[in-house]
Formats: sequence, C-alpha cells, structure tokens
Amino acid sequence: MKTLSYIVLLLFFIGCAKEVKPWEKETLAKSTMEDAGGNALSKQYEEHIYFSKEASKGGGGVAGGGCGCN
Amino acid sequence: MKNIIWTFLLGSQLFAYDVGDTISPAMVEHLGLGGEKVYVIDFFASWCGSCQKEVPLIAKANVTLNHNEVEIIGIDVDKKPENAEAFQKALQAEGALNFRVVNDPQNLVIAEFNPVGMPTLYYVKAQKVVKIITGAVDAIDAQIHSDLKKMR
Repeated sequence: MKTLSYIVLLLFFIGCAKEVKPWEKETLAKSTMEDAGGNALSKQYEEHIYFSKEASKGGGGVAGGGCGCN
Repeated sequence: MKNIIWTFLLGSQLFAYDVGDTISPAMVEHLGLGGEKVYVIDFFASWCGSCQKEVPLIAKANVTLNHNEVEIIGIDVDKKPENAEAFQKALQAEGALNFRVVNDPQNLVIAEFNPVGMPTLYYVKAQKVVKIITGAVDAIDAQIHSDLKKMR
C-alpha cells in the first residue's frame, strides 16, 4: 500500500515536472505571447488605465529578463 | 524508492555535457569533431533574439581565426526547415554566416548537449568539452579570441 502511494505521488510529479527546454521556446518567443498580444498600442492603453486607476506610475512589471540565461 | 524519486527529479540535468565530459563517438562522427582542432559549437535558432545578435559576431570572429587550428560549427535547432533555411540565407546575404551549419530539426544534437539556455557556445578539444558559455555575450567575438588564446 505504501509503495502504491509513492507511485501515485510520483504520477502527480510527472504532470507537474514537464520542463520546457530552452530550444523548445519557439512559440513562447513570439511577440503574440507578450502582454496585450504584442500590440504595443493596446498595451500602452491598458497601462494608461491601470496607472490612472492606481493613481501611481510604475510597478507594472518585474525586474530581470525571462530567458534565465544570464 | 527515494533513489528513484531523486533520479527522476534530477534526471534532466544528469544527461547534460559539462566541462571535462567526453562527447559520444556517435556525436563526434555526426558533427565531424574528430580532428585535432578546437571546435567552437554554437547553438542558435531563428526565433532566438540573442542568437540573431550573436551569430554575426561569431562570423566576425571567424574571419581572423586560423582555420587549421579552430573550426566554428553552428547548430540550427529550428524545428521547421524552411525557417532555418530562410534565417541562414538572410545571414549569408549580409555576410554574417561564414561557418559550417548543421541543421538539427529533430533537436537530437541539442538534446544530447542539453544546455540550460540559448544561445550556448561549447568549446570542444580532443572530443572533450573545455568551456561552455551560456547566454548572450555582448562582445562574443573578442571573448572567442580571448578563450582560444588561453587554450593554446
């Protein structure tokens, strides 16, 4: 029973641990995968509304890049 | 059971070439790494922004290298051959691709090297990995010359 529990637990890990390799990121590298689908004007418009509602400027992003290579 | 779990969790990183590792005979034959030269292997793809900047710089470094001692080999990991062909043609038209390129649409070559990022440069001497540079380097041409000088 204990072994069976481990196997079931391992099966859960399999679902979570699928790693996207660096050479498999072609689709993720597309501009359409960015916020607002790569539409710069739409992004600017949404940021304008966000900052107006928040009554502040900045804080809409995160520091650092996303490639994890540097 | 613990061993199985650890092997599973760490497995993806266990099968990556690191400094000091010997390249498999099948890969040596496939890429033509059997000579006495230092081989500089660059993994790139058309969709990789950093690679687009780096390949022309590597080509620039290649102009002044002694080709009896060093060979640069590009590995294009584009899955669509038409994308690889278009990217390489565009680079050639600009004079930014002057080294041998091996297309890897099945990603078998890069899966064996298993780098942690793109672009990645491997220095291979006597079928052994001597150095690995992962990620974009601004002056990669100068870096290649500097590294090769140290390897002589």
